[in-house]
Amino acid sequence: MTDPSIPLRDPAKAALLAWLVPGLGHFYQGRRGKGWLYAGCILGLYAVGFYLGSGKNVYWRWVSPFNTDKFMLHYVGQFFVGLPALPALIQATIQHFHPGAEFLGGFMAEPSARVLNGLLLHGKPYEIGLIYTTVAGLLNVLAIYDAYDGPAYGRGDESEPTADEGDEATTADAVKAGGPRR
Amino acid sequence: MNGAPNIYWFILPLVVAVSLVYTASRYESWPVIWARSARLCLWILAALIGTTAFLLLVNTQS
Repeated sequence: MTDPSIPLRDPAKAALLAWLVPGLGHFYQGRRGKGWLYAGCILGLYAVGFYLGSGKNVYWRWVSPFNTDKFMLHYVGQFFVGLPALPALIQATIQHFHPGAEFLGGFMAEPSARVLNGLLLHGKPYEIGLIYTTVAGLLNVLAIYDAYDGPAYGRGDESEPTADEGDEATTADAVKAGGPRR
Repeated sequence: MNGAPNIYWFILPLVVAVSLVYTASRYESWPVIWARSARLCLWILAALIGTTAFLLLVNTQS
């Protein structure tokens, strides 16, 4: 349940902004601290991952999801980073309908097998970059949900009911339910 | 040992980011977010170190 003391403004708009740029939805809601935290963690992870993969680990390919050899499962996670991963989708769509055409000079286009093999031969950075960028997208799903519905457990600093209050509540509930009264 | 950084160091920023974002999505109060994300971070690291130690223990390869 949403805590009314947490300003969510227009939750759908905030969620859309949170998807477009991690943290932007929270800035829109005036939750600046969280906006910085999400932007720093998610965009930071994505940027480092993209760098480790030499800019070749975020790309999309329009194939059936059942074609497991060719389906780009990692992009399903990366997609949720929003704008930073969107050129890959635009690039793949353009190339799907107009093979050979390029958008932004081939930025985030599917790399050739030779380029990919070369990157994999260099060791782990490419794979680590893939993990970073994918996890960044998945983390933004949590941030989007936070922008839409507020924090899952509320503020978190509410005082716990004291033992006496708890007992009274239990007794009152039992009486309401028609339980034995001594 | 080559000059490349040990890949295990790359786990640290990942765990820190996951802990902070996860906890921030659960709570709104900053003291609670800091305290719980630190605790979650330690739990994840302990689980990873424990798993790695176990794998080293049962490892039969050089």
